[in-house]
Amino acid sequence: FFSVFRGLVGAKGLTKEALQPALDTMGDHLIAKNVAADIAKKMCDSVATKLEGKVLGTFSTIAYTVKQSLNESLVQILTPKRRVDILRDVLESQRAGKPYVITFCGVNGVGKSTNLAKICFWLMENGFRVLIAACDTFRAGAVEQLRTHTARLSALHPPSMHGGRESVHLFEKGYGKDAAGIAMQAINTAREMRHDVVLVDTAGRMQDNEPLMRALAKLIAVNSPDLVLFVGEALVGNEAVDQLVKFNQALADHSNVQNPRTIDGIVLTKFDTIDDKVGAAISMTYTTGQPIVFVGTGQSYPDLRSLNAKAVVNALLK
Amino acid sequence: MVLADLGRKINNALRSLSNATIINEEVLQSMLSEICRALLEADVNIRLVKKLRENVRSAIDFEEMASGLNKRKMIQSAVFRELVKLVDPGVKAWQPVKGKPNIIMFVGLQGSGKTTTCTKLAYYYQRKNWKTCLICADTFRAGAFDQLKQNATKARIPFYGSYTEADPVVIASDGVDKFKGENFEIIIVDTSGRHKQEDSLFEEMLQVYNTINPDNVIFVMDASIGQACEGQARAFKEKVDVGSVIVTKLDGHAKGGGALSAVAATQSPIIFIGTGEHTDDFEMFKTQPFIKKLLNMGDIEGLIDK
Ligand SMILES: Nc1nc2c(ncn2[C@@H]2O[C@H](COP(=O)(O)OP(=O)(O)OP(=O)(O)O)[C@@H](O)[C@H]2O)c(=O)[nH]1
Ligand SMILES: Nc1nc2c(ncn2[C@@H]2O[C@H](COP(=O)(O)OP(=O)(O)OP(=O)(O)O)[C@@H](O)[C@H]2O)c(=O)[nH]1
Ligand SMILES: [Mg+2]
Ligand SMILES: [Mg+2]
Repeated sequence: FFSVFRGLVGAKGLTKEALQPALDTMGDHLIAKNVAADIAKKMCDSVATKLEGKVLGTFSTIAYTVKQSLNESLVQILTPKRRVDILRDVLESQRAGKPYVITFCGVNGVGKSTNLAKICFWLMENGFRVLIAACDTFRAGAVEQLRTHTARLSALHPPSMHGGRESVHLFEKGYGKDAAGIAMQAINTAREMRHDVVLVDTAGRMQDNEPLMRALAKLIAVNSPDLVLFVGEALVGNEAVDQLVKFNQALADHSNVQNPRTIDGIVLTKFDTIDDKVGAAISMTYTTGQPIVFVGTGQSYPDLRSLNAKAVVNALLK
Repeated sequence: MVLADLGRKINNALRSLSNATIINEEVLQSMLSEICRALLEADVNIRLVKKLRENVRSAIDFEEMASGLNKRKMIQSAVFRELVKLVDPGVKAWQPVKGKPNIIMFVGLQGSGKTTTCTKLAYYYQRKNWKTCLICADTFRAGAFDQLKQNATKARIPFYGSYTEADPVVIASDGVDKFKGENFEIIIVDTSGRHKQEDSLFEEMLQVYNTINPDNVIFVMDASIGQACEGQARAFKEKVDVGSVIVTKLDGHAKGGGALSAVAATQSPIIFIGTGEHTDDFEMFKTQPFIKKLLNMGDIEGLIDK
């Protein structure tokens, strides 16, 4: 699509007006790749600022400069300012004799429980013992879903592989109970039973549902997990921004503690269902500045990747 | 729904026409930009938005139009005609027939809300005194049968499924045979979530479809979906004969504009919307009354069909 900048060849010094049609085309291109509309606009503005007033001789230099500048912005957005190194942190917790706790949250149906199970598999492959806490006490089948995963994971890593010890357990109290309380019991159990990691599953909830957002904030405030992961699907459009802003806000507003815990990282799921429409990755990281810690690329346990920023940027620029 | 929410913005944009002293290309373009931005922010497919813009533009001929009043009316009705096209595929919604088995198959992407919505629909018909049942033909998702079973039990709806049979085709066909034999009128079949990139999943859907030969296939879409909807919806339609759309999770903040491209891609009407996780968080959606309501907003009443 860079050919739209062809008309600008030889212009005396680029003005905003001269750039506008080309920038509009670029904005549409990003939106078609599923970047949220206002974020696409912000990206265009930042490219415009970099280009304004520049005198560019040939088409190739303009196209090149635009591409470079967009490329730079995208890479910058996707590059984590902070590294989340779960394996290292789990080892550290292990030395301190306490379980490392990860809480999963997000809206309904995005893949929290499934990716929790995939992360559990990854931790088990790395030799850790995991306790899964079934804190979705609302959705029909949520507990059985985790029970099934626990049984399957346990079959993949039988005690015989781990010195006679089971390396995954499920902590569950059925339906209808207070999730925060169950999480706390699970963490205590893990400490006693010397589990290395506790993975806390929570019920899906809409970001505008205040009672449910309060309940989540309470669960996190009371249990102060080591890592709060927001699970979002790559299919989501403009809602990506609203979801993240409001989850963060709710955790901050409703926690009643001095330094509230907010989202530490993102799990971007269903990445296998979107072809090159990878824009949600940009919308989510731009909004929070938090890293995408895992990318879900399918429905089985090994379908978990780290983000390939270069590949995402290439797909966006194509 | 996107158009309802857009009402205000569109009204504002249209009002800019009334406020302008002369209506020229510039005024029209700026109004169109405003409307298109609102549509894109609501996730409406970008190609549909571009088409809407072109169609409105080409419906207006400044040379030929006489008075300012006329111009306004023409522009306004051109805008509405195009907006209506987004929700109205121009086909009548499928209706079940009393006294015979009506087989309804649910399909859609992973996590879109199929299983939850199956029970909602069953509950809806059951309350209207149809003999209704549910079949769980999802053998893939962990806990899928428990989920349907718990929902169905709570709503007191007969159900069928299996913990041991791994082939969804076998379960679907056994279930349909059983319930047909018992003279059920509404037989709803839930299937696994799937996506177009995985051929084997689409093949499985086709096999279930060919075996149970449903009277209606319902495509379930999450209201928060973005630009990827169109391609997925089209692929589902190409594989099985989708006849209706249900948009879920409209109780959230999402406007559901992305899901609208499913209407265009499948040429099928939206028949219900999901507005919560509970079984009765479910509303019938009728395209025509919805449009009427949309048109009745404020000073734009009666603009269309003139
Ligand atoms: N294709 C694909 N499907 C996925 C991925 N991750 C999860 N899913 C599917 O998405 C569906 C929903 O997953 P769940 O893990 O139940 O989602 P959840 O967020 O826990 O849902 P609730 O607890 O009901 O809010 C399931 O069918 C999963 O198999 C992924 O990376 N790719
Ligand atoms: N808020 C809200 N949540 C909904 C609605 N419909 C479904 N859900 C929730 O969305 C999540 C996914 O719903 P499911 O019915 O399991 O989705 P599915 O399409 O059957 O998922 P798979 O079988 O894994 O493909 C669950 O947490 C449901 O409670 C709705 O209208 N509003
Ligand atoms: Mg879950
Ligand atoms: Mg399901």
